[in-house]
Amino acid sequence: MKMDNIESLISKTIYKASLYLDEFRWDEWLELCDKDFYYSIQAFSPEIDKNMIYLDGTYDQMKSMTEMLPKHNTDRSPLSRHTVVYTIDVDHDKGTADSVSSLAVYQTQLDGINSHVLAGESNLFMVGKYRDKFILNNGKPKFIERITQLDTRRLDKGSHWPI
Amino acid sequence: MPARNQQQWKEVPGQLKPGEYVDSRIYSDKKIFEEELVKIWKNVWVPVCHESELDKPYDFRTVTISREPVIVVRGTDNQVRAFLNVCPHRGNMIENRPSGSFENGTPSGAPKHMTCMFHAWQFDMKGNCVHISRSKEGYQDRLDCKDVGLRRLRCEVKYGGFVWVTLNDKIEHSVEEWAQGSFDCMQKALDAEPLEVFHYHKAIIPCNYKLWHDTNSEFYHDYLHYHNRITGFNDSYFARQNKVFDNGHVNVGSFEVQYDNYEGFESREELSFPHLPANHWEMIDLFPGMNFNLRGSALRVDLMTPLGPDKVMIEYRGLGLKSDTPEERLTRQRHHNSIWGPFGRNLHEDLIAVSTQQSTMNEWADERRILHGRYEGETIHDEVGMRHFYDEWGKWMDRWPGDPELSYDEGLKKAA
Repeated sequence: MKMDNIESLISKTIYKASLYLDEFRWDEWLELCDKDFYYSIQAFSPEIDKNMIYLDGTYDQMKSMTEMLPKHNTDRSPLSRHTVVYTIDVDHDKGTADSVSSLAVYQTQLDGINSHVLAGESNLFMVGKYRDKFILNNGKPKFIERITQLDTRRLDKGSHWPI
Repeated sequence: MPARNQQQWKEVPGQLKPGEYVDSRIYSDKKIFEEELVKIWKNVWVPVCHESELDKPYDFRTVTISREPVIVVRGTDNQVRAFLNVCPHRGNMIENRPSGSFENGTPSGAPKHMTCMFHAWQFDMKGNCVHISRSKEGYQDRLDCKDVGLRRLRCEVKYGGFVWVTLNDKIEHSVEEWAQGSFDCMQKALDAEPLEVFHYHKAIIPCNYKLWHDTNSEFYHDYLHYHNRITGFNDSYFARQNKVFDNGHVNVGSFEVQYDNYEGFESREELSFPHLPANHWEMIDLFPGMNFNLRGSALRVDLMTPLGPDKVMIEYRGLGLKSDTPEERLTRQRHHNSIWGPFGRNLHEDLIAVSTQQSTMNEWADERRILHGRYEGETIHDEVGMRHFYDEWGKWMDRWPGDPELSYDEGLKKAA
């Protein structure tokens, strides 16, 4: 397969993932991932001078986590991911690829704190980067790793959802 | 009973007595909030950071207590000291970064000194002024370094290596005397070996600081948490005892958590803190707004910095053993954050609840009663922790929590 086709497929996969995550289509998001997928949300804290892992899990753990979301009380205000793919580096010999995307996530209030006043308002929720790794099976990319590296460290109420 | 009219709504419900409810104005009134900063927060010990955040000489952390900027530094003698982070010259903040080291120089200053970037006055790690730029030319013999040391603050390192600071020079008690035995339940676990912070995040939440403290001290709200219901809610959970201590502190007693009842979670047994029975959970709520929460393999410590009657900054720290291997640390971090991180199962739920609670008792809303009247033999759903807190609060504030327009004594008399 031509290099630009592979890169195009990887870009499409990243954008599809953003759409599925925005729309709570967790199963379809996980279908874009290999069974050996590893997910994490990380941030560096200058306060304690350490990298921190806020959330992580394997494919199976992310699956069970998303399946249990309906059992939890949560802020139902949807998150919208604005993703821009910056780089894609394909290693044809290994059949893998690395990608870095810029990420801004907006939250549009639904229930939030007082829906009568706030519902409909959009705010910046976080900024950061996706650092993705792919495995290429017959030219088809699947996520093998996603590190959501946050610049934002004040997350206030936080979230139950993968980003 | 059917829904109540306005008059019925304002009456004390059922047979509840004074002391079993508070007036919602204590969570929203600006005057009361300003009084709290002066009467309470400027006069108590506050665990501002952990010693592992200042690992080496010249390391520093900057924090805030009751709106006052504070800097904590480790000296060349390895001692941790605290000062107001204010230059005695023209009141500039000396250090702006959240953390770092004075080992190397700054654009305005020499290595191994705290330097105010504004006019390059320099201070050593003991707070002595050691350099005033063009001192003789400007001040002749009227002022020199010995006159302008930093404002030192009382500081102790205690209970697992936390750095406790108070703005009150005349405080009558040590941190241990202040704690009044409330740390007995976990002191052996905290002091068995050095601890290290592995997690830090902060949240600024639209709620009064006391609402967060309430949530940490009452467990009746476990109905909010699927995780806590599924891993607890058995006989030993309902037998957990609350224990009160002088100065407004409370312990929430331990029990064995069934972590593996939650799909995808695992027992914390292998990484239990020293001297803590496997999968047990001890908690200390310290007046007026700190919480030490030891859950099996990880210690969480909350520190509140009140920012307004309806605004609080909560700093969350997660700690493990300094001797952890990288694999152990990763597991501890996972155990901590899967429940308490910004994407954890419980913390998000708690923060939604206190935010929506505050939204009903803003400064424009009619005052209402917030009930603290559950008695269950001081077990887990008994609200004795909140009653104990507000009795202490009333004494410090000289206000009756159930009617803050009354003095504490007037409230007591009325209650009698």
